[in-house]
Amino acid sequence: MKTRRRVVAAALVAMLMVTTVAGCSSKGSSGSATGEGSAEPYRIGAIVSLSGSYAGLGTPEQKAIEMEMKRINDAGGINGRQVEVIFEDDATDPAKAQAAVARLLEQENVIAVIGATGTSQTMALRDDIDRAGVPQVSMAGGSVITAEFDKNVFQTPWPNRIVVPFTLKALKDRGLVNVAVISDTGGYGKDGHDLILKDADTAGVKIVADETFNPGDTDMTAQLTKIKAASPDVVLMWNAGKEAAIVAKNIKQLGMSVPLVGSPGNGRREFIEGAGDAAEGFRFAAGKILVPEAYGEGTPAFEVAQKFIADYSFAYGVAPDIFAGHAFDAFLVVTDALKRVEGEATPASLRDAIEATDGLVGVGGTFAYSPEDHNGLTEEELVFYRVDGATWVLDK
Amino acid sequence: MRSRLAGTLVPAVGVILVLAMPFMTTDRYLFKVLTFVGLNLIVVAGLALLFGYAGQISLGHAAFFGIGAYTAGYLTGEAAVPWLVATLVAALLAALVGFVLSLPMLRLKGHYLAMATLGFSEIMTVLFIEARGITGGNDGLRGIPYPSLGSFKIDTPSGVYLLVWITAIVVLVLAANLVRTRPGRALRALHGAELGAQACGIDTGRLRVQVFALSAGLAGLAGALYASAVGFISPTTFSLEFSVLLVAMVVLGGTGSVTGPVVACVLLTLLPYVDALVPGLPREVVSFLQDWEADIAGIVMILVLLFAPGGVAGLLRRSPRVGEAE
Repeated sequence: MKTRRRVVAAALVAMLMVTTVAGCSSKGSSGSATGEGSAEPYRIGAIVSLSGSYAGLGTPEQKAIEMEMKRINDAGGINGRQVEVIFEDDATDPAKAQAAVARLLEQENVIAVIGATGTSQTMALRDDIDRAGVPQVSMAGGSVITAEFDKNVFQTPWPNRIVVPFTLKALKDRGLVNVAVISDTGGYGKDGHDLILKDADTAGVKIVADETFNPGDTDMTAQLTKIKAASPDVVLMWNAGKEAAIVAKNIKQLGMSVPLVGSPGNGRREFIEGAGDAAEGFRFAAGKILVPEAYGEGTPAFEVAQKFIADYSFAYGVAPDIFAGHAFDAFLVVTDALKRVEGEATPASLRDAIEATDGLVGVGGTFAYSPEDHNGLTEEELVFYRVDGATWVLDK
Repeated sequence: MRSRLAGTLVPAVGVILVLAMPFMTTDRYLFKVLTFVGLNLIVVAGLALLFGYAGQISLGHAAFFGIGAYTAGYLTGEAAVPWLVATLVAALLAALVGFVLSLPMLRLKGHYLAMATLGFSEIMTVLFIEARGITGGNDGLRGIPYPSLGSFKIDTPSGVYLLVWITAIVVLVLAANLVRTRPGRALRALHGAELGAQACGIDTGRLRVQVFALSAGLAGLAGALYASAVGFISPTTFSLEFSVLLVAMVVLGGTGSVTGPVVACVLLTLLPYVDALVPGLPREVVSFLQDWEADIAGIVMILVLLFAPGGVAGLLRRSPRVGEAE
């Protein structure tokens, strides 16, 4: 009896170890890479959504950062030191993002955190970031990230407070004044929703319906039926998750002929692939990277974007989307500041250097941070797009 | 005689080790991870009584954990209620919900009881997301203050660690002693044969309600401590996944024992955080364990049910006792 139990216990332990070791080489979502270098590398943490609703955003973000890290390390690193980026997947879950940042700060001792992909996830890091005093550069577009000002937190995308008025103005210019709003209840959707309601009067449009859905929902027919009854000129959708494709498909299924307009969060290939036909004619505002001619040929921004697009396309066989651009910019902001730090780089000195960023040309725009403004972008960086033939064209 | 000595010596050494931890290391991450272990222990102590002694399965204890967390988080963060009051209210509220829930469930046993708790868990998940005024919806509640008593604030990882572990030790000692008292023997009788227990004059219905409410209250207490220890809570933490993990700990631990579930709880909680204990472990191993955490827990559970139905408790026991079905 006793011997049998021992055998079983030993077998259990052995089995656990075998599965552990065997799997090591096959699966592993997060990882890091370093080149050779005599000095200790700079360790930067990155929290991205590689699974869940924002997987389509986080994956290109990780690719862009890995590509740039390799480029910098191959060229000898920064100040003679290599750069090591440690990735964590937050699974589009604020709680997981918070657990990840605790690991990065306390176990990996990173000097900066890039992330997160989403607005809720970005905000979930704040308490830990503040306690540790480590600079954070977010790749999410919620206004709240920099509007609820924090001296440690910076942001690379165009926030909703710039994009929403720009989008509403574009609707008005096109004669689409009766607007039905559908937004998700997550951080980014809610942030945009509140700004749409606030800015509608100023922009001269009328909100005729206001519906919401939760991240992870799989059918929006009920909300869209109500919207249909309000007979709007346009449906304005504000979210960044994969649910956007379902909204587009549901609109088509309900036989609604009303145009659909979205947010920069929908400027992702998965949306076009997921919605198929229903994506045709979909319009949204975003930065210029999707159609680089919009930068104006020969401008410094055009050169930076052209090189990024060429590198990324060469490395991954597909052109970068706006999220790859946000990640490129976030990594650029951190590495540019690292170059300017005098003496030994600490989280505090790096934060000061990031705040002193001025005239840094990235993909999403020209970054100039100040003690009052940790976003520093304007609506000059935005253009209006339309999906035409399963690709993006400028909507003049 | 020897076994009795070991029975007091081993837990005593364990307690001393736990309390001496802050003097041995300053690793903040380690404290954070061990805090999670302590929190899970509090929940598991209640579940061990419920499953291991009373023989009831609950797939809804993550929801009670959530009720405790949101109550404490809202009261301390938004309503500025003193921490101790908020924590007690949170535990009592969870116990009350458990009490009310167990009344209609008195008629249910086995799979049906498990289904009812599963349903409750799903309802609470929706409530945590939709009751935005209190829970903050999907974005969660931020800025929950650290535990404090008057002007004394526990704001270091080692302080929070001690608070959680002292609570866990008190709960475990009480749970271990409870099973030796009259209600404890009644619980065992209930697990063995409900009809037999009734024939012995035990009010089995009342007993089941009491133990369910007690375990819900302990989950609520752990949730309240979690909220103030972490400072941020959002709905996904309190989903079915966590409930299943808790049940896995108890099943793996084995019935009719508190020690077994404690060992299983420590092992399963530490699994995704091995890097805190083993410095220099390759990152690939850690991320593999994190990715496959649920799979490993599931495989282990199946193996335990197939080959060692007594769980850790069965393996620990020196000789099969009378009354234990092997």
